[in-house]
Amino acid sequence: MPEAAALELDGVEVRYGSVSAVRDLTLRVGKGEIVGLIGPNGAGKSTTLNAIMGLQPAHRGEIKLNGQALRRRSVESIARAGIALVPEGRRIFGDFTVEENLRLGLAARRRTYIGDPFGPAFELFPILSEFRGRQAGALSGGQQQQLAIGRALVSRPDLLLLDEPSLGLAPLAVDGIFKAFTEIREVGTTILLVEQRAQRTVALANRTHVLVGGELRMTLGPADADDTEKIIAAYLAS
Amino acid sequence: MRFSLGALVELLGPALLVIVVGLLATTASASNEVYFLNALVSVAIVVAIYVFVGISGVLSFGQISFVAVGAFAAGVMTVPVESKKGVLTTIFPILRDHSVGNVPSLLLAAALGGVFAFVVGMPLMRLSGLAAGIATFAVLEITHNVLREWTKIGPGATTLALVPETTGALQATLGALVAIVVAFLYQRSRRGRLLRASREDPAVARSVGVNIHLERLLAFTVSGALAGFAGALYVHLLGSITTEQVYLELTFLTLAMLVIGGLTSLWGAVVGALAVSGLDSFLSRAEQSDVHVIFTFTLWQGTRLVFLAAIMALVLILRPSGLTGGREFRLRWLRRR
Repeated sequence: MPEAAALELDGVEVRYGSVSAVRDLTLRVGKGEIVGLIGPNGAGKSTTLNAIMGLQPAHRGEIKLNGQALRRRSVESIARAGIALVPEGRRIFGDFTVEENLRLGLAARRRTYIGDPFGPAFELFPILSEFRGRQAGALSGGQQQQLAIGRALVSRPDLLLLDEPSLGLAPLAVDGIFKAFTEIREVGTTILLVEQRAQRTVALANRTHVLVGGELRMTLGPADADDTEKIIAAYLAS
Repeated sequence: MRFSLGALVELLGPALLVIVVGLLATTASASNEVYFLNALVSVAIVVAIYVFVGISGVLSFGQISFVAVGAFAAGVMTVPVESKKGVLTTIFPILRDHSVGNVPSLLLAAALGGVFAFVVGMPLMRLSGLAAGIATFAVLEITHNVLREWTKIGPGATTLALVPETTGALQATLGALVAIVVAFLYQRSRRGRLLRASREDPAVARSVGVNIHLERLLAFTVSGALAGFAGALYVHLLGSITTEQVYLELTFLTLAMLVIGGLTSLWGAVVGALAVSGLDSFLSRAEQSDVHVIFTFTLWQGTRLVFLAAIMALVLILRPSGLTGGREFRLRWLRRR
């Protein structure tokens, strides 16, 4: 079991108007862990990430980063507290160069570090260094996803939130970014990964929670990765 | 801050265009010179508006307030003391008994514009979209009415006259260049990039740690300072001014310039200001007397603004992102032709 928890959610409820998208969600992500969050469309996976980031304020419950309460804080102050989000659909700035995109990530950096400020991005994805002067919009889908992850990493976050990073990528590019997650974990960054690729996520993550209809249904470990029936059953439990 | 060659070209394009217009002004006849000078002052005003509206993507109808404050501050403070005692009898003694030179008046106007924008920006910069448009319009109304009614700080509803006419070809050109260089440096800076990111995708900008309120306030303040400065250039061009000259019509005209040129680029602001100003000058001359373009004609009074509005609508329909497409100046454009 992990030592201290990097992220704790306790009884979190998120509502859109009168509809609650996430109900009574409790989970913890230990320092240096990868925790997966899978489930059918509309299960509340992205909503959970947005609630942690403050983009969709939680209606009830506690959200803590390293023991520090996050709820009711502004998005930018949550970013500065050490959480970085890689949003669904990448959402890089296509008119900016690769380097300008990465420079944006520095806005949330808490202190200055010695050496190349873009080091964390370039070490993981050397192609970004090679293309640093190019327009980001001209990159391939896989490269744009690398840029989106790189932009999040240059702020040197404690916790990385990833929202369906493999969506719409070619199989080879998917292999590349899943490999990158392992490397990100190795340098001690904690990851909460929302994915549709259930099997790969279960195999990679320390734990994977299945979210159905806004509620936690089941928790799977890497050993369950080959148990396709169990994963399918968890999805269909509703 | 390091600049690539491409970045320098982005600056040189608009700067050279302004210098060419400045040179044309020196060769024009005395009666035509004012049109060129007007165009150059328009560049300064539109670039000031661009710094906030263009880069942040938040609409403001209020930037002419800062032009008005700058114009009246520079105007009141440069009328010679002995003349002020005769014409500005109601103003505060401290304003009546002191005058400053041309350059200090430009700096004073910039400082006042910046401070005023910072103060009103603090509450207003939390707004976006239509709410921001209406609230900034309210600032314009308040400023206009205070300037028109409060005779302790200026001439009130009467004309402020006897302002030294120091904005000749040199001052108009340099003034427009100062505005362009400040806008360029700001938009290339780290802060400018953060604001541009917030225009493109506010949610992502916030989640990488950008404090949008703060970035907008900074741009609003820089824009206010440039607008105040441009107002001072304007009053020194006109020599006399009323509050009506820095109110609704100027607001409409300068926003039209920005939109027609291309809202999202400095190049668009400069091209739009010069193109619309040229057209506006031509139309206002045609209203006053016969003009010769293939054949001789005179326009009815009031057709000027109708024409301008129609052209603005036409540009928006044919080129929704303006004459420049909202892009910065690039050499590739010249090569392609």
